[in-house]
Amino acid sequence: MDTVIEVKDVVTRFEAQTVHDGVSFKIGRGELVGLIGGSGTGKSVLLREIIGLQRPTAGSIRVFGTDVWKATAAELAAVRRRFGMMFQDGALFSSLDVAHNVAVPLIEHMKLPEEVLWPLVNLRIAQAGLPADAGAKMPSELSGGMRKRAAIARALALEPEVIFLDEPTSGLDPITARAFDKLTRFLVDDLGITVFLVTHDLDTLLTVVDRLIVLARGKVVGDGPVRDIVDLDDPWVRSYFSIRTMAATPSGSEAHGT
Amino acid sequence: MAVTKALDSAAAGRWVSLETSGEGATLHLAGDWRLPSLATLGRALQATRSVRPIVGVDGQALTALDTAGALVLLRHLQSLAVDPGAIAFDNFSPAHRSVIDVVSPRLAEIAVEPVRHRRGIVAEIGFQTESLGRLLLGHLNFLGYVVGGIGSLIGHPWRLRGQELAAQFEQVGIRAIPVVALVTFLIGVVFAYLLGLQAARYGANIFVVDGVAIGMAREFAPILVAVIIAGRSGAAFTAQLGTMKLTEETDAIRVLGLSPMDVLILPRVFALVVALPLLVFIGNVMSNLGAMAMAAAMLDITPTTYLERLSVALSTRHLWVGLAKAPVFALFIAVIGIRMGMTVNRDTRAIGTSTTSTVVQGIVSVILLDALFAVIFQALEV
Repeated sequence: MDTVIEVKDVVTRFEAQTVHDGVSFKIGRGELVGLIGGSGTGKSVLLREIIGLQRPTAGSIRVFGTDVWKATAAELAAVRRRFGMMFQDGALFSSLDVAHNVAVPLIEHMKLPEEVLWPLVNLRIAQAGLPADAGAKMPSELSGGMRKRAAIARALALEPEVIFLDEPTSGLDPITARAFDKLTRFLVDDLGITVFLVTHDLDTLLTVVDRLIVLARGKVVGDGPVRDIVDLDDPWVRSYFSIRTMAATPSGSEAHGT
Repeated sequence: MAVTKALDSAAAGRWVSLETSGEGATLHLAGDWRLPSLATLGRALQATRSVRPIVGVDGQALTALDTAGALVLLRHLQSLAVDPGAIAFDNFSPAHRSVIDVVSPRLAEIAVEPVRHRRGIVAEIGFQTESLGRLLLGHLNFLGYVVGGIGSLIGHPWRLRGQELAAQFEQVGIRAIPVVALVTFLIGVVFAYLLGLQAARYGANIFVVDGVAIGMAREFAPILVAVIIAGRSGAAFTAQLGTMKLTEETDAIRVLGLSPMDVLILPRVFALVVALPLLVFIGNVMSNLGAMAMAAAMLDITPTTYLERLSVALSTRHLWVGLAKAPVFALFIAVIGIRMGMTVNRDTRAIGTSTTSTVVQGIVSVILLDALFAVIFQALEV
């Protein structure tokens, strides 16, 4: 399988505190991988290290074969054009409407004539599941779910090969969150995009993710298909998924009973 | 019988070529139909416009197709009034076919041009005037609300929160002393220099003291200090209260049964109303010190002579005129700063724009009030 992301022996220290103590994994093309771990295990830090925003203390990170932390500015820019990132709260530019937010990467990196640019922007908005009139709205006028969709539309703009999602469903109601999961699945199945997401949402993990990577105590303690991870003999993993079993059993039987 | 027709330009032929048969033409796509070559693809398709009807699209020679490429193709077909659902897409790889299927159902949605509002100049002037009127009316309303709040304290003075008041006084008063002292001292120096240049020509050196003392006490110290405070404390009020509103702290205050008027508004208003006259007084003293230094160096007026002349020239009337304006300036600066903060929109950019607006409004209102005072004092002949 074609490897798109390779994290090797990454160590991250903040002063005395060691967050990552030798984290390694590989992600292949077309996978939908979820990264989980308790608070403070450095999930978001790892994500920021992969996309070249924060330098790890040691270790190497390769995206599309380029070492992100040894690359020149031009090489890094070339890598960045090939992936999209959705930040937790969208990180939409507040001074631009949604259409112009989506257009930013297209205008910056592609010299497109207007009559090609705006239909393409509208396509991205539609792909993200936003109504057509959302393009003219300012980010401040959007609900949390729409803001995340607009952020996905912007991340999709350059037709990326990989999309990174930081807590894609946090702060969303369950219905919107499930719709978002569907959208994520669609990115992988229909567009062939590789998706790497950080989440706390058990429903996302159990329904759409192909493979889970579990961070605990500074290391990868589990890496594999979701059903294997659920049965993993690790204290943190066990307590994490036991919440789910407890919560699911009574409501699940009720739902089937009626 | 099939005739493969080469296109006019060889460049276009790299991407698309036409094959005409009995019932119509088939578009043969080739190469990477991807985002980076989108503009070229559009032009290549344009070159095939003359041949119709299009009855099919062949994707055998396609090496890559992304949604952007598919969009250009489908929109081109649409512009020729060809329904993408009604024609044959032959020899597409399953991956390319699925890209076509992703884009084609969305074509109708995409066709909708986003409405872009742009007002004409007359409408813009009207709109801005209306919003300015609304803003001023809102300020007036809030001023009344604050005055009402101050009035309600008369019966219940214990409602004024001493601790909060002291904290605010420290922020807006005591911590502002260095900047106020520095600026007014330097203005005193400059003012004495400017008057000295003129006065020395007539041998009227000593009257520099009159000019600086009266000018600073009546006009310049109150204005300068108020402008500094509008920029410093007015902006701080907006930023603090705006952030509190965004993080729902002001709502929490209400829900916990506290009154934002008592906790947030009155301490700030009182602190500023008390602090500004005191800062103006400091400004008076510092500007005379500055002038005294300049007078000694440039005009041979010793500090003793300066002080003697000062006691004759500066009647307390002038001092009071200046000091009386300060609380009014303070009230307006506080009301503007607080209201702009408490009515900030719920997005992060709004705090920045509101803070900027507070400073502008604060400075303009100080100067307007000062002009108003000039008219009033002139009529009262003080």
